[in-house]
Amino acid sequence: MVRLIALGASAATVVLSIYLCFQFDSSNPNFQFVENIPWIQSYGIHYTNAVDGISLPMLLLTAIVIFCGVLVSWSVTYRVKDFFANMLFLVTGVFGVFMTTNLFFFFLYYEVAVIPMYLLIVIWGSTNKQYAAMKLTLYLLLGSALMFAGFLYMYSVPGSHTFDLVTIKESVRFAPHIQNILFLALFVGFGVLAACFPFHVWSPDGHVAAPTAASMLHAGVLMKLGAYGIMRIAVYLLPEGARHWAFTIACLALINIVYGAMVATQQRDLKFMIGYSSVSHMGIVLLGIATMTVAGFNGAVFQMFAHGIMTALFFACVGFIYDGCHTRMIDELGGLSKEAPKISAFFIIAGLCGLGIPGLGTFVAELLVTIAAISVYPVIGIASIVALLITAYYILSAIQTSFYGPFNPKHAHFEDIGWLQFIPRAILVGCLVFFGVFPQVFIQWVAGSTKVLLGG
Amino acid sequence: MALFVPETILLVLSIILFFMTVMKKETAAKCARPFMIFSGMAVLLGCIYALPVSGSLFYGTYKVDLLSQGFKFIIALAFLFTILFSDKMIGVPQGRQVEYFFFLFTASLGMMMLTSAAEILTLYISLELSSYSLYLLSAIRQDRRNAEASVKYLIFGAAASGIFLWGFSLIAGLSGTTSLLEISKTAPSLVSNPAFSLGLVLVSFAFLFKLSSFPAHFWAPDVYESAATPVTNFIATASKAAAVAIMIRVFLLLGVSGAFVSILGAVAFISMTLGNCVALVQKDVKRLLAYSSIAQAGYILLGLLAGSFGGYSSSFFYAFAYVVMNTGAFLVVILVAKSLKHDNPQIEHFDGLAERSPFLALILLLSLLSLAGIPPLLGFTGKWILFTSAMEKGHWFLVLWAVINSVVSLFYYLTIVKHAYLEKPKTSDPLAVPLSMKALGFCLFFALVFLGIYPNFFVEFAQRAVVTSLAP
Repeated sequence: MVRLIALGASAATVVLSIYLCFQFDSSNPNFQFVENIPWIQSYGIHYTNAVDGISLPMLLLTAIVIFCGVLVSWSVTYRVKDFFANMLFLVTGVFGVFMTTNLFFFFLYYEVAVIPMYLLIVIWGSTNKQYAAMKLTLYLLLGSALMFAGFLYMYSVPGSHTFDLVTIKESVRFAPHIQNILFLALFVGFGVLAACFPFHVWSPDGHVAAPTAASMLHAGVLMKLGAYGIMRIAVYLLPEGARHWAFTIACLALINIVYGAMVATQQRDLKFMIGYSSVSHMGIVLLGIATMTVAGFNGAVFQMFAHGIMTALFFACVGFIYDGCHTRMIDELGGLSKEAPKISAFFIIAGLCGLGIPGLGTFVAELLVTIAAISVYPVIGIASIVALLITAYYILSAIQTSFYGPFNPKHAHFEDIGWLQFIPRAILVGCLVFFGVFPQVFIQWVAGSTKVLLGG
Repeated sequence: MALFVPETILLVLSIILFFMTVMKKETAAKCARPFMIFSGMAVLLGCIYALPVSGSLFYGTYKVDLLSQGFKFIIALAFLFTILFSDKMIGVPQGRQVEYFFFLFTASLGMMMLTSAAEILTLYISLELSSYSLYLLSAIRQDRRNAEASVKYLIFGAAASGIFLWGFSLIAGLSGTTSLLEISKTAPSLVSNPAFSLGLVLVSFAFLFKLSSFPAHFWAPDVYESAATPVTNFIATASKAAAVAIMIRVFLLLGVSGAFVSILGAVAFISMTLGNCVALVQKDVKRLLAYSSIAQAGYILLGLLAGSFGGYSSSFFYAFAYVVMNTGAFLVVILVAKSLKHDNPQIEHFDGLAERSPFLALILLLSLLSLAGIPPLLGFTGKWILFTSAMEKGHWFLVLWAVINSVVSLFYYLTIVKHAYLEKPKTSDPLAVPLSMKALGFCLFFALVFLGIYPNFFVEFAQRAVVTSLAP
């Protein structure tokens, strides 16, 4: 019953967001479907919701991931009610962040998305969960503390006195040195959530400790909030500050990409490997942002979407394998593809997507970002391409040992997935393929809005 | 006589209660609780009835306006909550109940008068009335530790009121009057006078004592820990609200400026840091809440030192939020203590609360998260407008520090939550929640969630209260 309600709710979000995609007018780069209700008027707080080309795909992503997440966690038996309540509560926050255009509500939803994560990890998690949950929460909230101060500063500037994003943009000109400091604060605040080096340390621990569906949401959607915040708020409101720090961000992004991939090569635990690969892939998003070009931004948004679907698929597969084999160690698995061809196929598709095979979503995204990066920062751009080789290495070798290679008889009783568990993973693969083959659908949504965001 | 309705009700009922002390002990103890619940309701209704009235009484020494009436409503709420909590108190003999309730009455009366005081002597008398009642209340539990704590409370309190009198004697001497309104007229010309500033600092010290802020916080951990839990709840909610009320009134009239703002800023800074850091290592939940209240006092000071209408009204709002959240926390503490038959639950006694009583665990979760300022709860909205007001006056560093402190505080709040939700319970028997507590829990739940999401009415009420309180 609880599961059905959760499924119904998340199915409704999928339907609604697909409906939104069809209703969306790609020729209009500004906010659409605007709702505006005064809330706490004396503090310039309005309940405003609106969608533009950047938030639209994020909403779609969130809806897909939660729908699949609910299906994947069908087998949860411990405190089922609480589990799904937390999941849906978390997703409420995520949807809110992607839709709101008021800084107060942005912050509100942001924290609404973080706190259930603590409970999800601490109650239903595994592997060092208490430590990981507390670390994650404190890291994210420290980041949000910086955001909070930044938001309040924007409100207190003469001429502002509002928390509305668009009004602040129109009515306030921040002095350059203020922009620099403010952008730094906001970037660090959001960067924590986007797992930007050196603030990424919470992320792999959190991924590993979280239960499957929570990892999917966490890596698939939650980390995107940070990157989305950087674009939507930091870059939009503080363009000069962003330009001032762009090169630094590019360097950090490169460290993210290379360092994340290098660490991933050393992991035995599949979940840790994916955790670090997320860090590496989020580097690509950051690199796209750092270019400060429309192409780079398009690529970044595309990467956020594609990576969200991809890691969700990764975690959905690893979660299933772990439930069946009771291990996630790469060297303890082996030859699984003989015993369980379907789940192996899904994992391998996710892996191929991770290393950017043409025809899957991430390829286009990475292409867009690297082209933009090479034109702005040639050295960093080329280095990021080289780093893709490392990605190829760790993904292929992990696939090699755990799915091919000699069969480990310990897992002889491991059963392949049934149809119910097949559906969510198939949906995720479908999305990857669809947007890999028809990237122009996606670019069409995004392109206008990124141009407006960059003030062009 | 509509102006004096809540106080009249309190006075009349307390006199009736006073006559109950001459009845036979057993009969009195039996009648006391129903009578008190009725009284709590009556006082609350009286406060609601008297909410919109305004005027002045007793030759201008007693000011009734939206500010005072709003705070009286908050105090009446805390009074009622405390009465509901005071059932079969641990460590308090049945025979003492009537006296206990009597002092609860006089303490509330003092606090209500404090919110309306518009003249130094009235202010002093009501301050002392409430303080002395609280000293006695804090000593009502019978054990040695309790005696030590209440003596500490008494000595500190007496010192604080001495300092208070000294400060106000300076101010009154310089301005030649004891009426706050008259002082406020001469205040602008006196601000540059160091004796006036000194007076203001000394007066504030006494208020900080009530607010349990640094540097007058020493009593709080001991008293919180060793007083009977309902008393702790009363001190933590009503007394704090009254302190905020009188600080708003005095600061609004006398103005905060210059060096005084810096002093308050330093006080807030240390109070937040100290409260949160020490709370991190506490094992006793009541003691932990004491340190958390020291930290919360620092947050409230941020609104007060902003010195703007926005700042005062957000402090007002936060005082209300604070009463609701703390009552939620104490509700759970009291029930856990009852199931333990020991009035000082440690953190590990909360183990497995979610299995023993999911409802209580939820109330605990929401209250603590609200104290930490997590949206969409009441405490979040309160903090947001509090910090916004401080930021508007350019106190960006204090705001940043306060937000970082909120994150630190989340650590110990989450530790309790973790014990409640994660650890296995030592006894698996379900925790009995009496009906009245359940009803109260539901009310607090709705207040925490719905007022957190739709705070507009209360925010505007607080603003109107602060703005209109300046009218003579």
